[in-house]
Amino acid sequence: MLQLVGLGLADETDVTVKGLELIKKAERVYLEAYTSILLVDAAKLEAYYGRSLIIADREMVESSSDAILADADKIDVVFLVVGDPFGATTHTDLVLRARELKIPVRTVHNASIMSAISATGLQLYNFGQAVSMVFFTETWKPSSYYDRIKENADLGLHTLVLLDIKVKEQSMENLARGRKIYEPARYMTVAECARQMLETEEERKEGTCARERLAVGVARVGSGNQAMVSGTLEQLTCVEMGEPLHSLVLLGKRTHYLERDFIREWAIDPKMLDEIWRRDYEGK
Amino acid sequence: MVNFTVEEIRALMDKPANIRNMSVIAHVDHGKSTLTDSLVQRAGIISAAKAGEQRFTDTRKDEQDRCITIKSTAISLYSHMADEEDLKDIPQKVEGNDFLINLIDSPGHVDFSSEVTAALRVTDGALVVVDCVEGVCVQTETVLRQALGERIKPVCIVNKVDRALLELQVSKEDLFQSFSRTIESVNVVISTYYDKALGDCQVQPYNGTVAFGSGLHGWGFTVRQFAVKYAKKFGVDKAKMMERLWGDNYFNPKTKKWTKNGTHEGQPLERAFNQFILDPIFKIFNTVMNFKKDELPKLLEKLEIKLTGDEKDLEGKPLLKVVMRKFLPAADALLEMMVIHLPSPITAQKYRAETLYEGPSDDEACIGIRDCDPKGPLMLYVSKMVPTSDKGRFYAFGRVFSGTVRSGLKVRIQGPNYQPGRKEDLFVKSIQRTILMMGRNIEPIEDVPAGNILGLVGVDQFLLKSGTLTTLETAHNLKVMKFSVSPVVQASVEVKNANDLPKLVEGLKRLSKSDPCVLAYINEAGEHIVAGAGELHLEICLKDLEEDHAGVPLRISDPVVSYRESVGAESSITALSKSPNKHNRLYVTAQPMDEDVSKDIESGKIGPRDDFKSRARILADDHGWDVTDARKIWCFGPETIGPNLLIDQTKAVQYLNEIKDSVVSGFQWATKEGPVAEEPMRSVRFNIQDVTLHADAIHRGGGQIIPTTRRVLYAATLLASPTLLEPIFLVEIQVPEQAMGGIYGVLTRRRGHVFSEEQRPGTPLFNVKAYLPVNESFGFTADLRSHTGGQAFPQNVFDHYQMLPGGSPLDPTTMTGKIVQTMRKRKGIKELVPGVENYYDKL
Repeated sequence: MLQLVGLGLADETDVTVKGLELIKKAERVYLEAYTSILLVDAAKLEAYYGRSLIIADREMVESSSDAILADADKIDVVFLVVGDPFGATTHTDLVLRARELKIPVRTVHNASIMSAISATGLQLYNFGQAVSMVFFTETWKPSSYYDRIKENADLGLHTLVLLDIKVKEQSMENLARGRKIYEPARYMTVAECARQMLETEEERKEGTCARERLAVGVARVGSGNQAMVSGTLEQLTCVEMGEPLHSLVLLGKRTHYLERDFIREWAIDPKMLDEIWRRDYEGK
Repeated sequence: MVNFTVEEIRALMDKPANIRNMSVIAHVDHGKSTLTDSLVQRAGIISAAKAGEQRFTDTRKDEQDRCITIKSTAISLYSHMADEEDLKDIPQKVEGNDFLINLIDSPGHVDFSSEVTAALRVTDGALVVVDCVEGVCVQTETVLRQALGERIKPVCIVNKVDRALLELQVSKEDLFQSFSRTIESVNVVISTYYDKALGDCQVQPYNGTVAFGSGLHGWGFTVRQFAVKYAKKFGVDKAKMMERLWGDNYFNPKTKKWTKNGTHEGQPLERAFNQFILDPIFKIFNTVMNFKKDELPKLLEKLEIKLTGDEKDLEGKPLLKVVMRKFLPAADALLEMMVIHLPSPITAQKYRAETLYEGPSDDEACIGIRDCDPKGPLMLYVSKMVPTSDKGRFYAFGRVFSGTVRSGLKVRIQGPNYQPGRKEDLFVKSIQRTILMMGRNIEPIEDVPAGNILGLVGVDQFLLKSGTLTTLETAHNLKVMKFSVSPVVQASVEVKNANDLPKLVEGLKRLSKSDPCVLAYINEAGEHIVAGAGELHLEICLKDLEEDHAGVPLRISDPVVSYRESVGAESSITALSKSPNKHNRLYVTAQPMDEDVSKDIESGKIGPRDDFKSRARILADDHGWDVTDARKIWCFGPETIGPNLLIDQTKAVQYLNEIKDSVVSGFQWATKEGPVAEEPMRSVRFNIQDVTLHADAIHRGGGQIIPTTRRVLYAATLLASPTLLEPIFLVEIQVPEQAMGGIYGVLTRRRGHVFSEEQRPGTPLFNVKAYLPVNESFGFTADLRSHTGGQAFPQNVFDHYQMLPGGSPLDPTTMTGKIVQTMRKRKGIKELVPGVENYYDKL
């Protein structure tokens, strides 16, 4: 059986009891390590679970899934995913392939940023579609996320922006030449994301990501040292939130005053937040 | 004794109206370097006795040994026009009667024609040398075409007249006929490549744009010179005289009248050209070569030729040389012709500016070029690198088109891939030193204004082969040169001693710099590959590499040909590939592209930087493309300029523009190394039929799209009856009749075929043209010579690609399949071509 086990948000102890039991029993355990990362390294996981893990990078999951699924109809294979197994759309493909091979699949859920983001006090009811922000390059600045945010904003909904991580990625040049040389890992910060949003705004000029739009930046949600900060997009461009992983929420206009009170706690400039909230958000 | 100083030259540089930048171009062995000697001798750089033998501009030892020019060489000459009358004939502005002539002697062998391209770029005029016995040959035509393409005005000299007189013993009338035939064929070529901006460039003896002479003997004349002499004698207008001295004009001695009628009372009249120009020359030849000692003094007196004491004792050919040289010095005729008829930089840059500059024709840089303005922004084109005595360093050789360059000036050094506003391929550095190139010597010079040719020290570190230097931040590049030859013959090199590897790597870098055309790179299998235009070019490059640039013993593989991959039909089904994460799908078909389109792309007529509307117009009007398709060309490839196209035929696909970059990268990669044998693709048009994409950008980044594009293009190619194209040489062979049989035998054995065979009128020589696969050309020259008793001389020039006959390249049992297998083995990849199922994903 193929068993997809969610690992939760922060460290080795976030695994569920059910998940841990499966891990201990399974023949092979893969750790997917490219859509997200835990805040601790694999060795610590191995020590805690008391067994060895196989690190599955993007190439392995996408290009040689057969290796992962080998014999899974007879033995138990566990596939560990940080967060919730289906939080990242990527793994549906693995399930599809397992089905093709008539391999039964079982899932153990866990917390994901998609739900944990409510720690900001922003109500999950009020979120629209989530978007991802990729690292812009000189020539590649995809701005279609802007349209998604706009759709949300038109309904007054918040948007959760997931930030790009590059683990074991090839550079454009190496990719084009087919060379397997990998770049050092990079994780996008809240400040970088805010800057890119303002860059797209400059180009689109539709006001969706204007300088004075309110947003909340979060880091390491679910861990002991999680951090949050709120302010205008412009203020967030200079914020320093430390270690990865970061995420950002752009506020929709349909905010509840309770939400405001909650995020006011971490405001860079509470007075300004109040002012803007009153001017642009309250009752709109 | 040099007749002029650097100071004098520098002073002339400020008078662009009196500068003539010109190249000497011709077929191999038609006598360019020998003729150049006459001019160099006039400037006092070499002694008169050696002129015609020394070949001053052949500076390399192997050039002297092989008697061919390999590198183009520049030299600045100073000329004084004494006669005020002559100045009036110059159809453009002049200042005073001193002239600066910057002359570039270029190689004639086709393998080195990239050197000619580099020379033409920096000059405005060309002296086309044609052998009067061999006539217009393949390379004459090639270089003329190149010159006219660059908007360079030609004048012509019919050379080796001494051969016609001494070896062939022709009559005056035959010689005239032969001259006019040669000139006519030159004009045929010129009118084929007529360019409106350049105007009528036909060369005519009666206009003074054709000279006749012998570089070896150092004599030459134009009809104009004789017209000047006779105009005084007859007391008629010089212009009228010029017309009368050529063509069907006769002087009737009985009636003392000029007539167009060749007979008088049934008696044939002697053509004016024969009577007034050829006659004295024939008399000298006759008298000297038949040792009629007693008649000679009288003749010399009549022609006002004075011999010194020693010279009087000479006889035979040496005497002939001295007499003819005193009678009609070649340098006089050539200098006069060049000064009067070739354009000055001021004149030339007016019509060349738009073809030289990539940017808009109304920006500061373009206006500076158009006006040849020494005070404008600096626009300097480096056309080639010349090795210095300091090993590994090069002078950058080029021309100032606008502004003034001087030592210490801070300039932007823009490589060929530079694009305005970007930072790639750009350096901002100071010029170390500016120099004057004088054949084998150099002279330092303070500064150089617009319109002049010069050398630069220190730039070689920042430019590979060529590039633009400017002071204007917004300046675009000067147009990158297009070469008429491509590096189709290659060999791999390795060091005999492993410790020498760093030296080889360094040597390859230097080799690549020193030659405009050679290609040096490392292939996927890690071999060092050197590619050249032909066997000779490759041989010279490899010799330079071993002896000079790397200086270490090398092991060199047998030369191999670089093939091209193409398709023979449209893809049988639409190819589909999914991205690794399965969220994105690309649907593409491949189809063959017309040869004409590929040719237009390769010649630069259709290019990625053209305005897309006018490009679509050309494709629709000339090649029958659908206008909508033609406007949706995403890119060219490989290297963004190659002859394969990617067309967007999708309808209303969301986010398509966000993956364009990745698709283009994948396309470049795929077209550079095709699916059959990892050879570059050619003449394939890919149509993107449809695309489905994940809504979130993170799931369709380069990592997902680039490999998918490559796979889908490979699948589309393999579904479209892939073919292999091999390069074909156009071979031109000059051979006497009796040796013809040998040619056919050799060609047939090598899969070649003759398609034209013409006798040159008045000679026993035949001109044979044939197509020969490059793959079969190794050792062809030696083979041909041995089968024709050394009488046939072939010239191979790359002409086109042709489908390799003999079955599918995918089937290892066919001829083509075997070639593919050998190639794959050599490259160290799996011998069997991977099937389409490796790239095609089922829905």
